[in-house]
Amino acid sequence: MSSSGFTSPFGANSNPFGSSRIEAGGMQRVAEEEENDTITSPTTPHFGQSAGNTFQGPFGGDASSDPQQSGLRGPPSTEGYPAQYNFARRTSVSAESLKPVADSYDNWTPPVHPKSPEQLARLKTAISGNFLFSHLDDEQCAQVLGALVEKPIPTKGIKVITQGDAGDFFYVVEKGSFEVYVNSSGSLQPGPDGMGQKVGTIEAGGSFGELALMYNAPRAATVISAEPQCTLWALDRVTFRRILMESTFARRRMYESFLEEVPLLATLTPYERSKIADALESQKFPAGHTIIREGDPGHSFYLLESGEAVAYRSGNDTPVKHYKKGDFFGELALLNDAPRAASVVSQTEVKVARLGKSAFQRLLGPVEGIMRRTRYVGVKTGVEDMDPLQSQ
Amino acid sequence: MAATVAHSQHAPPPGLHPLQTAPVKAAGSGQEPTQEKNILDDKPFDIGAGRLSASDFVRVRTLGTGTFARVCLVRPSHGTEADRSKVYALKILRKTEVIKQKQLDHVRHERQILADVRGHPFITNFLASFADHDFLYFLLDYVPGGELFTYVRKFRRFDEDTARFYAAEIVLVLEHLHEEQGGVAYRDLKPENLLLDAEGHIKLVDFGFAVRLGNNESGHPVETYTMCGTPEYIAPEVIHNKGHTTAVDWWALGILIYEFLMGFPPFWHSNKMELFKQIVEKPVVFPSEPPVSAAAQDIIRQLCTVDRSRRLGNISGGAARVKEHPFFAAVDWDAVYHKRRPGPIIPPVRFPGDTQCFDVWPEEDEHWDEYTDELAERYEACFSDF
Repeated sequence: MSSSGFTSPFGANSNPFGSSRIEAGGMQRVAEEEENDTITSPTTPHFGQSAGNTFQGPFGGDASSDPQQSGLRGPPSTEGYPAQYNFARRTSVSAESLKPVADSYDNWTPPVHPKSPEQLARLKTAISGNFLFSHLDDEQCAQVLGALVEKPIPTKGIKVITQGDAGDFFYVVEKGSFEVYVNSSGSLQPGPDGMGQKVGTIEAGGSFGELALMYNAPRAATVISAEPQCTLWALDRVTFRRILMESTFARRRMYESFLEEVPLLATLTPYERSKIADALESQKFPAGHTIIREGDPGHSFYLLESGEAVAYRSGNDTPVKHYKKGDFFGELALLNDAPRAASVVSQTEVKVARLGKSAFQRLLGPVEGIMRRTRYVGVKTGVEDMDPLQSQ
Repeated sequence: MAATVAHSQHAPPPGLHPLQTAPVKAAGSGQEPTQEKNILDDKPFDIGAGRLSASDFVRVRTLGTGTFARVCLVRPSHGTEADRSKVYALKILRKTEVIKQKQLDHVRHERQILADVRGHPFITNFLASFADHDFLYFLLDYVPGGELFTYVRKFRRFDEDTARFYAAEIVLVLEHLHEEQGGVAYRDLKPENLLLDAEGHIKLVDFGFAVRLGNNESGHPVETYTMCGTPEYIAPEVIHNKGHTTAVDWWALGILIYEFLMGFPPFWHSNKMELFKQIVEKPVVFPSEPPVSAAAQDIIRQLCTVDRSRRLGNISGGAARVKEHPFFAAVDWDAVYHKRRPGPIIPPVRFPGDTQCFDVWPEEDEHWDEYTDELAERYEACFSDF
C-alpha cells in the first residue's frame, strides 16, 4: 500500500494515540501478536485484506488505471498523517439481526454444555483478558462459559479455520497446540504451500478467531492442529450475542417496570423511563453492607434488584422499613442534597441498580420540572408517606 | 445460468447486470447503438405511471459498489428527448446476496425509511422501488458532486469552517431522523455515505442500516441489538452489545468531525479487534498538529463520550443542545436548513449527468449465486414491498 510510504510526525511505527504497542506492518505483526498477545487473535483480518472490498481508493495504489480521473485525484500531501493509516474507503459490516425473545416470541435459552469445575476455571482464565468478555456480569459470564462446546481434534493436520473463509466461531485451546499460517494473497490457495507462511503457534490456554463474535469477517489466517489429540472449546457468534442481548434486554425491562412504581417518577414518559433504565448501574453488596448511611448527603437513588435490605434510624434498633425485590430507596436524593434520613443495610447479598442525581438531571433535566408537570404533589402514596428516609 | 431477466433478448455476459449499457457519450465512442430499435422507444417515460422495470433504464456507468449492492447512473431508455436526457441513480441489490448476508430486514427497513424521509434537504431523494427475478432496485435522484470522502482525502483535512458547514447540515439530518421522524437511527455515518450536490450541500445516502426504533406495544422505546456500522465509527455500546439507540449517531458525528479536522479518525488499527478495544477503552486524543480549537475539541469529546448519560445529543435537550454548543455559535440554523449559503467546496460538475466526481468501479460483479426456485419460494414474500 502506498500509505506505508507516508512519513509520520509521530515517528515511524508509533501510534500517535498513546498506545504503548509498537506496530510493525503486515504479517510481521501477526507473528508478534501471536507470541505476546492473547487478546487479539491472529485470525483477525487486517485492513485492506478483507474480501469484498474490491475498490482500491485513489490513494490505494491503482489511480493510474483510472482513465477518467479528473483534477480531483492525486495523492494528498503526506505531511501530518500517521504512517500506517490506510486511506481507502471503509467497508460497512453487519452481523445477523437479532431480536430479543420477548419481542419475537420464539423460545430460546442458552445452550449448556457441562464442564468440570477445573475446566470452567481454565476457560474463565483463558477468556478473562479479552475485552469482549471482561465487561460481562457474573450471570452473562456463566452463560458464555456454559455455552462453550467441546470440539475434539483427533489428529494432527486438521484445519480448524481456513484463511478467507467466513468466520462463525471463536475457539479456546484446552489441550494440544495449533499452528497459524498466513498466505499473503488473503486466502488459502491450492497446492503444497497454499497455507502460506507459518506466523505463530497457539498453546493450551490461548484462543483465536474472536472477530467472528462481532460479525462475519473472512478469516485472516489458517489454523491447523500441530499434534494429535487436541481439544478446543468453541463459541458461535449468534449464541454469544444472544446471551448478551437477552440478559441486557431482560434487565432493562425489569428496570423499566420497577421505575413505573416510583411515585416521584410517575410522570415520566415511557421514553424517559427507558433513558433512565439505560443509565442505571448495577452494583452487588454482601449481607450486612451499609448501602446508604444516615446523615450522609444523598446523591443517588437505588432500586433493589435482588435480595433484601432494611432501613434503620439512629437510636432505634428496630428496622423502620423492609425492602425486597422491586423496592426503591433514596429517591429524595434526586430532589435535593438533604442528608439521608436513615441507613439502609443489606440483609442478604443484594444487587441494586443505582442512579445518580447528576445522571438523572443530565438526561431529563431537574426533577422539580418533571414534578411540576402534573399534580404529583397531591399523590397520596408519595415519598412523604412511604419513605422513612424523608427528613422531618 | 438462468439468472437473467425475462425481457432480455440476449443473455448478458456472466456477472454483468442485465441493464442495457448506454451509448456513453462521455466515453468518447460516439457510436450509435447498433441494437435493433427498442420497441419501447415511443412509450412515454413516467416514474409515477405503473411499475418500473430494469428495461426502462440504460446504464451509463457504475458510481459505487458494496457487498451486495451496486449504484449506477442511469437514463430512461424511452420517452421524449427530454425524458431520455434525464439522469438518475439506480441502486441495484442482488437478492441472493441480500439473503446470504442476512440483510433481509435491513433492506426492508431501507425501503420504508427512504420513503418516510423523502423531501428532506440533506437526504438523498427516493423516487421509486421495484424488483425483478434476481434484483431489487431503488431509483434515487442523482447527486453529482461525489463522496465527501473523496474531498476530505483530496484536501487532506478541512479547516474548521468547512467542517462546521458539513457538521451543521448533518446535525439537522440527525435531528430530523431522531426527533421529527420518531426515533430513526441511521447507524452508518461516515464520509463515504455523504455526497455533495452541485452546490456543495450534503446528501446523506445509503440507508441500508437505518432502523426505526419507535415504541413497542407497551409504549416503551425499542433499543436494537444488531451489530452493524463501519468499524472506525461504531459506538462502544454496539461493540458491547448493550442494546443501542439513536445515541450511536451522535458518537459517529464526533468521529466524523474529528476526521474532517484531522484527516483520519481518532481510533484506527489495521487489526479490527485492536480497533474495537481502542474504541471501548481509549479517550479521544488530539495530536499537537494541526491545532484544533477548544470548541471543536470539546464538541468531539462530548459526542464521543462512552457514558450515554453524558453524551451530547443523547442528554436532555437532544439535538437542540448540540446546536447550542459553542462550536456552532456562529451558525444560523434557519439559513443552514434553507441552504442560503453555497457549500465551501463546489464540486466540478459540468452538466447534470457528469460523473467525473465519482471514482471508476468495475462494471461487472465478480461472482454471484443464482436466485433459485427454492430461494424464491422461501424468501420472495420478503421482497413484496418492492
